[in-house]
Amino acid sequence: MQTIDIKDLRFSYHTEEETGKPHEVLRGVSMSIDKGSYVAVLGPNGSGKSTLAKLIDILETPDSGTIVIFGNDSADTEKFWDIRSKCACVFQNPDNQIVGTVVEEDVAFGPENLGVPNPELRERVDRALKAVGLYEKRFMQAANLSGGQKQKLAIAGALAMKPDILILDEATAMLDPVSRREFLTLIEDIRDRHGITVITITHDMEEAARCEKIFVIRDGVIAGSGTPTEVFSDRVLIHDSGLDRPVHYKFVTACHEQLGMDPEGGSDLNDEKASAELVAHMILNADDSGEIEDEEPVQKEDTPSGESIVQIRDLSFNYDEGSFKLQDIDLDIYRSEILAIIGKSGCGKTTLISHLNALISPMHGQVLIKKGEETLDASVKKDVRKIRTAVGLLFQYPEYQLFEETVYKDVEYGLKKMGIPEEERPEMIREAIRLVGLPDDVINKSPFEISGGQKRRVAMAGVLVMKPEILVLDEPASGMDPKGRREMFKLIRSLRRKGNTIVLVTHNMDEGAAIADRVCCIGDGRILSVADPTELFRDSGKCREMGIDIPKITAFSQKVKDIISGELPGIEFGEIYFDARKEVRSIRRAVRTYREAHNA
Amino acid sequence: MLKDISLGRFYDTGSILHRTDPRVKMILYIIYLIAIFMIKTPTALALIALITFIQLIVARIPLKVIKNTVVPILPLVVFIFILNVISLTSGKVLWEWWIITVTDVGIERAVLMALRIIFLIMSTSVLLTLTTTPLKISDGLESLFSPLKVIKVPVHEMSMMMSIALRFIPTLIKETNKIMRAQVSRGADYDTGGLVNRMKGYITVLIPLFVSSFKRAEELAVAMDARCYRGGVGKTKLNPLKITGKDILLALIFTSAAAGVVAVDFILR
Repeated sequence: MQTIDIKDLRFSYHTEEETGKPHEVLRGVSMSIDKGSYVAVLGPNGSGKSTLAKLIDILETPDSGTIVIFGNDSADTEKFWDIRSKCACVFQNPDNQIVGTVVEEDVAFGPENLGVPNPELRERVDRALKAVGLYEKRFMQAANLSGGQKQKLAIAGALAMKPDILILDEATAMLDPVSRREFLTLIEDIRDRHGITVITITHDMEEAARCEKIFVIRDGVIAGSGTPTEVFSDRVLIHDSGLDRPVHYKFVTACHEQLGMDPEGGSDLNDEKASAELVAHMILNADDSGEIEDEEPVQKEDTPSGESIVQIRDLSFNYDEGSFKLQDIDLDIYRSEILAIIGKSGCGKTTLISHLNALISPMHGQVLIKKGEETLDASVKKDVRKIRTAVGLLFQYPEYQLFEETVYKDVEYGLKKMGIPEEERPEMIREAIRLVGLPDDVINKSPFEISGGQKRRVAMAGVLVMKPEILVLDEPASGMDPKGRREMFKLIRSLRRKGNTIVLVTHNMDEGAAIADRVCCIGDGRILSVADPTELFRDSGKCREMGIDIPKITAFSQKVKDIISGELPGIEFGEIYFDARKEVRSIRRAVRTYREAHNA
Repeated sequence: MLKDISLGRFYDTGSILHRTDPRVKMILYIIYLIAIFMIKTPTALALIALITFIQLIVARIPLKVIKNTVVPILPLVVFIFILNVISLTSGKVLWEWWIITVTDVGIERAVLMALRIIFLIMSTSVLLTLTTTPLKISDGLESLFSPLKVIKVPVHEMSMMMSIALRFIPTLIKETNKIMRAQVSRGADYDTGGLVNRMKGYITVLIPLFVSSFKRAEELAVAMDARCYRGGVGKTKLNPLKITGKDILLALIFTSAAAGVVAVDFILR
């Protein structure tokens, strides 16, 4: 069988570290990938995953070690173009890989470089565009496509080169869940039809679970590999590599821990349906007479006060041509709550939060913000400055707004603009740096030489330093690895404990639901619902009717509950949770109550 | 603010002018450029205006779009107008104050120059940027300048650079707006204060924009490499440039129109 064989691969970047040594990214990677297989490479940020992808496509050359692709050694200069033309890449940022201005011109870029002559070139371009569903848009300007469409365009550009290998380097990281699902379905469909070997580098565990084999890279070496079932069952590996496990694995583990039963052999844990059945049967068949511990009540300091700090009344916003971006928005935000605003790309989330900070002044309706005894009105010009200090707003990828020579100066910028006297600033800046969990010594570094995660925290500090009561965060964890995401949400929770009111914009239902006190769902510029997530997602059928995505954990739990309902007709399930352990306990409680009632 | 600039923005209506070979349009553009700067009489200027409007109609470009290309350069037009008015002191003096002298010849010349600039911008937009995709413009340039390859001018590389620059204009405009919004929400103010202060304020936009542009450039280079880019050698084209009978006819019509205007101008002088 033909394979991609990688042996003892080493690579370092020639940027010098402080120690004077070159920065070694890969430190002896060996792996073997079968032709036609579907492989995921997981690992924390900076572990060397992207470098590995570049080495396979000979976009970089290794310091030592060999890569043999289907019998061709990549060090062989005669095979260079052969290998590169058979290996296509889709990268993370949709904008930075489009060369052509018009859709079809961009698709043609690859085969044009290969020197494909004209009737065939045209045919390849058309076929690739049809395969990704962009044929109707072939004369459109590439810059006007949506993010998801741009990534599809990148696939088309890759397909037109007729590759044997397709490498996806965090290709779904910047997409919303809907586009992400479409993208993956498309990739899998293409793989089925053309037998292309697909290597996907990702932070999305559900995406990895769809593959045939997973490699985990950590600190430049392969820390583990195997089928998804093998890798995700290895909890030590997952934990040490800062990864996460898909929801259904967590359920099985929770059952195992609570019921002391080993999962029956023969079930395919990686298959959601099979694991739902497994979980249901474990709960039903268990000798479950032991105590089920109650969930600890929500901590008092975490409960919102119920005092409305922002009032949005009858707010509408439309573009010049008359199409509505926001329509009849009525929303209260309560002091020290976490409110998640959830909706698909382009639904008006960003427009809504821009009103909170008076970046957009209300066209129709009112936005009132309480600060101390005052009530500020976003449409009154003299209040705008005060509103901007009362409401801190952080857009997606805020690290792109850093500009100063040092972190200190960058964080200071807002204070300077607010006219805070110079002698008060150092203490405030240090406090903000500490608040976002950065070490003190970062203060004198350049914001361009620290890591991506740290940059984002510096940008947050730059807003927090103005001591806003309300903090609006637009996708604060986007592009981060699972560990980074967890830390970011921990930080958000700790900010709330310190009294901040937080508005969190996200398209990740799971994270939104798990952290928020209330969830506000927006669709097509209107509020679909504002509710406590446990209330909202309890009725998953109704959510679907309203066009609201439900969290993966709730969807999986629903499958388990459906199976149990089949066995125990008329069973009623209680409270829902966004934590596998708690959710399993909740189901167990429901089963016990049902049985007690029926045995009596 | 920045989103209104339509320079470098292709406006597709699928008209005959859009489908015309870019090289033909470029040569026509040069002809009009020369014509615009040769004529002096009001009649000829009116005729050029008429032809430009005919071109607009042929290209099916709405007036709103053309307005967006002309309005941003109005300050420049006004500046040139004033410069011409005060620098020409021959002719009958109409108004005098301190060192400023306004004469009838000066005003006449200033009006002529201002109109020329406006026609120039309109022709550039109609004949080139609005009706031709950046890739076609660079293809056309590459083809027109290809004789220079003999004397080792990197014609292909230059046209590639140009087309990428044009391709990234909308992306960078979007990015600029994003960064500005982020800084405004931190208290930046780009609309008030003196000129120096405002310029200083833009540093908060320019530095992040530069940093991200370098990152973009790096990523784009890798993406181009991955798609086997190796310069112009052996490269084929999806839509090779081909001059058709229609192109020649269109070229003839508009060239003779320009020639006619210049002739009228000479007769009336």
